[in-house]
Amino acid sequence: MDQTNVTRIDDEDTAPDAALLVAYANGDGAAGRTLLNRLSPKLFGYATRVLGDRAEAEDVVQETMLKLWKIAPDWRQGEAQVSTWAYRVMVNMCTDKLRKRQSQGQVALDAVAEPEADLKSAVDQMTDVARVDALQGALNTLPDRQKQAVVLRHLEGMNNPEIAQIMDIGVEAVESLTARGKRALKAALAGRKEELGFEDG
Amino acid sequence: MDNDPRQDQALAALFSAAKDNAPTPTPDFMERLACDADAALPKYETSAPAPAPSILSSLKGLFAASGLTVAAALGVWIGLVMPETLNTLVDGFAVDDTVSLSAFLPGADLAALSE
Repeated sequence: MDQTNVTRIDDEDTAPDAALLVAYANGDGAAGRTLLNRLSPKLFGYATRVLGDRAEAEDVVQETMLKLWKIAPDWRQGEAQVSTWAYRVMVNMCTDKLRKRQSQGQVALDAVAEPEADLKSAVDQMTDVARVDALQGALNTLPDRQKQAVVLRHLEGMNNPEIAQIMDIGVEAVESLTARGKRALKAALAGRKEELGFEDG
Repeated sequence: MDNDPRQDQALAALFSAAKDNAPTPTPDFMERLACDADAALPKYETSAPAPAPSILSSLKGLFAASGLTVAAALGVWIGLVMPETLNTLVDGFAVDDTVSLSAFLPGADLAALSE
């Protein structure tokens, strides 16, 4: 009889992330793949939006997942959510990459103008692809922390306490970052009115 | 301008489009991640099954067990059938000879009462 220490989860699709991670640590490769398929697309979406670069996003997602597999044997259920932990690692890595870029002068942040154009009528006329591009372009002009908070709140759909945990700041600081981020986004979009075909309203 | 509802609606439309068109990882990249996961999978050695007992070792055990049983049975038989012989043997070593070994045998108390 084959006697191994591997314990398998009956229904991996509905199992909590932490249970999958513990099963992986106990040698269940299928549980690891389920967790990977659940987490990595979200992480990739976040990293791509924040970094604005698919290749760099792949790098940080790969590194985050490797770190997750490494700590799996020491994971203690109930102390933190696996997704929160992973996002936290991602946020820190993205911050490092963005800082490195800025120190190398790769990204020049646009001067933020006050919104003047009628965004609504312009956006109404745009295709989905154009809207995504416009938003990404505007996101790229935001300060790092604002950008990360806005993406987590408005694109990843997280609530403020979750974001506070991930970014290691208070809930009030998250509210402030997202509010300033939204203002800056509107201003950045208005600043690109000619490029986006906005009309003065 | 910050609180202009039309601006907020425009931004909400952009957010909505971005959510509906989230960047997705390529299958190649997902496969690479899966390979990483497999490579990092903690390995546990399969515990070796206990060796099957050999016939010889089984017989040894059988002999040992049967030897003990025979010795015990013989002791009981000698005690029951030849208590005087035991008394003689014990008398040779005992310092205090006031107690006979046969007094501890079954039925000794009845024999004492009938005396």
